[in-house]
Amino acid sequence: MQTFQQDCIALAERRFRRGEISRRTLFQALAGLGVAAPALAQDKQLVMVNWGGLANQGFGEFYGAPFMAETPGAKVLQDSSGPATGRIRSMVESGRVTWDLCDSSASGARLLGKLGLATPIDYSVVKREDVIGPGFAVEYGAAPYSFSSVLVYDSQKFPDGPKNWTDFWDLKKFPGTRLLRRDATCTLEAALMSMGRDPAQLYPLDTAAALKRVAELRKNLVLWTNGSESEQLMRTGEAVMGQIWHTRASVLFKESKGRFKYVWDQGLLQAGIFVIPKGNPGGALAQWLLASMLTRPEPQVGLLGLLGNGPTNPKAAAMVPAELRQFNPTDPENARRQVVLDGNWWGDNYQQVNQDYLDTVTG
Amino acid sequence: MRRDLGWWALLAPAFLLMTAFYLAPILQVLAISFTEPTPGLGNYERLLTNPAVQRVIGTTLRICLITTLISLALGYALAYVIALASPRARRWWLLGVLVPLWISVLVRAFAWVTLLRRQGLVNQGLQSLGAIEAPLALVWNETGIVIGMVHYMVPYAVLPILGAMREIDPRVLAAARGLGASRGTVFFRVFLPLSAPGLAAAAMLVFIVTLGFYITPAILGGGKTLMAAEWIKLQILDLVRWGLGAMLASVMVVTILVLLGIFSRVVNLRRLFGAGA
Repeated sequence: MQTFQQDCIALAERRFRRGEISRRTLFQALAGLGVAAPALAQDKQLVMVNWGGLANQGFGEFYGAPFMAETPGAKVLQDSSGPATGRIRSMVESGRVTWDLCDSSASGARLLGKLGLATPIDYSVVKREDVIGPGFAVEYGAAPYSFSSVLVYDSQKFPDGPKNWTDFWDLKKFPGTRLLRRDATCTLEAALMSMGRDPAQLYPLDTAAALKRVAELRKNLVLWTNGSESEQLMRTGEAVMGQIWHTRASVLFKESKGRFKYVWDQGLLQAGIFVIPKGNPGGALAQWLLASMLTRPEPQVGLLGLLGNGPTNPKAAAMVPAELRQFNPTDPENARRQVVLDGNWWGDNYQQVNQDYLDTVTG
Repeated sequence: MRRDLGWWALLAPAFLLMTAFYLAPILQVLAISFTEPTPGLGNYERLLTNPAVQRVIGTTLRICLITTLISLALGYALAYVIALASPRARRWWLLGVLVPLWISVLVRAFAWVTLLRRQGLVNQGLQSLGAIEAPLALVWNETGIVIGMVHYMVPYAVLPILGAMREIDPRVLAAARGLGASRGTVFFRVFLPLSAPGLAAAAMLVFIVTLGFYITPAILGGGKTLMAAEWIKLQILDLVRWGLGAMLASVMVVTILVLLGIFSRVVNLRRLFGAGA
């Protein structure tokens, strides 16, 4: 299954190829996933793990290079193996850890922490006040960017489109195929909100009710596993609406000149969490790398301009150019309409609940 | 006796290499199914008690059986045409069968998506001909998966069947006709039984290969159909339930070995894989 990070890079590569953005903008924005420097690096090497594509080159030039410049003796290497939770586990358990900082997720961080496979974040180095909310700096990871799962729809089919998940589940008023990610996170929250549950009181999730609700859509459902797929299914008219990543939704919106609309209301705001595998070779220096990713608002805004990833630094939203604000998930105006995903709840329940979800939607 | 020992000694390096770098790691992974999350047969108990596990096995078997049957029917028809064609035409037919084998499975899956989707070539063609009113659901379901898998497997069915057909002595057929059998009788009582070993070999080959399908169902199934390979990947990489994933992997390996065991009793394996008869 493709992760959000992989998809962002795929998106950037495509825009770069089409000439919509320059190489410089591309790398500037890719560097938005972090960098700064401490002084405890003596001949130390850090390996950052991304999900492939241009991230490797971009992180190397605009992430590794500045860190090396600011931190004499430190070296940052890029690895694009894709740090799936299972891969991190096999690395840590084999006792030969070569990764220092991995682009993971909120639930991944919790799960890895619980299994004793991740290093807790040292909050004397990483600053909690560098992020907008508690969900972005957790025990086993911190997030230099954010993203959201929003409702997108085809306004050609529905001029007066769905406004929330209740409408999304209304097959009479809005007939047609829906898209959901083949992953329980965000999907079950949407299902519960569609039943009128209070968005502020979703957790702990009533999974039985949510799964039953998802089952109602089964006949009208296509499940996506990577972002370009979700975009393509909307674009080609295979589906009339869907819950997809906001980065893909805004691409559809811009490209179609507003035919594909999306709503921030009841969207699920998520943290792009990085984790440090247990026994990482670079040791505490990885904490400094993470700290620098969180503390700089400018590159975070650059990233928003390129890929659409939202900044997480509280100073960033005000720096966003006016025309970009509507696409920023953490713009205060947009953020207050969304629900923040509870990564800790998911970390504790993901294995079982996601299996139940797979059983509900597949067969 | 001593000479035998010498031959075994020559084999030993290759044997040790395979054991150390191929068999041992695989066994190590499969052993996880007995040790995790708790030592014992808990993961295997789920084969009997867990509906999710049973369902993924059921889905896999169902899709593989359907694919095998359709591939065999198409493969048999194709092999029949090829076997009876002139040598020149036969070369072209064979090329037509083999070319798809060289195209990436990914490319083929996406090509099928383009053809089969709601606004794809097939649906639009049928709609403009007035044959259907609403687009048919040809993809994002098991239909799509079976179409994609059959397309992939037909060459694997054709080759063993063709091999068997070409070994049939044409004089036998002529003799049957000469003794007064109708064309139908010749086919059903002479040709079909003589080509049956090829059919059995093709069935086994196709079925075993389809068991491990991963990309085609993932792309054409609209996420709604989980077959064993993808399910194992989910357990290992995303859900981090290695014990369960390793259990199903072990079950697959054992199933395939058992199938091959039965198969080798039915069919002469050495001959099928090209060794001297």
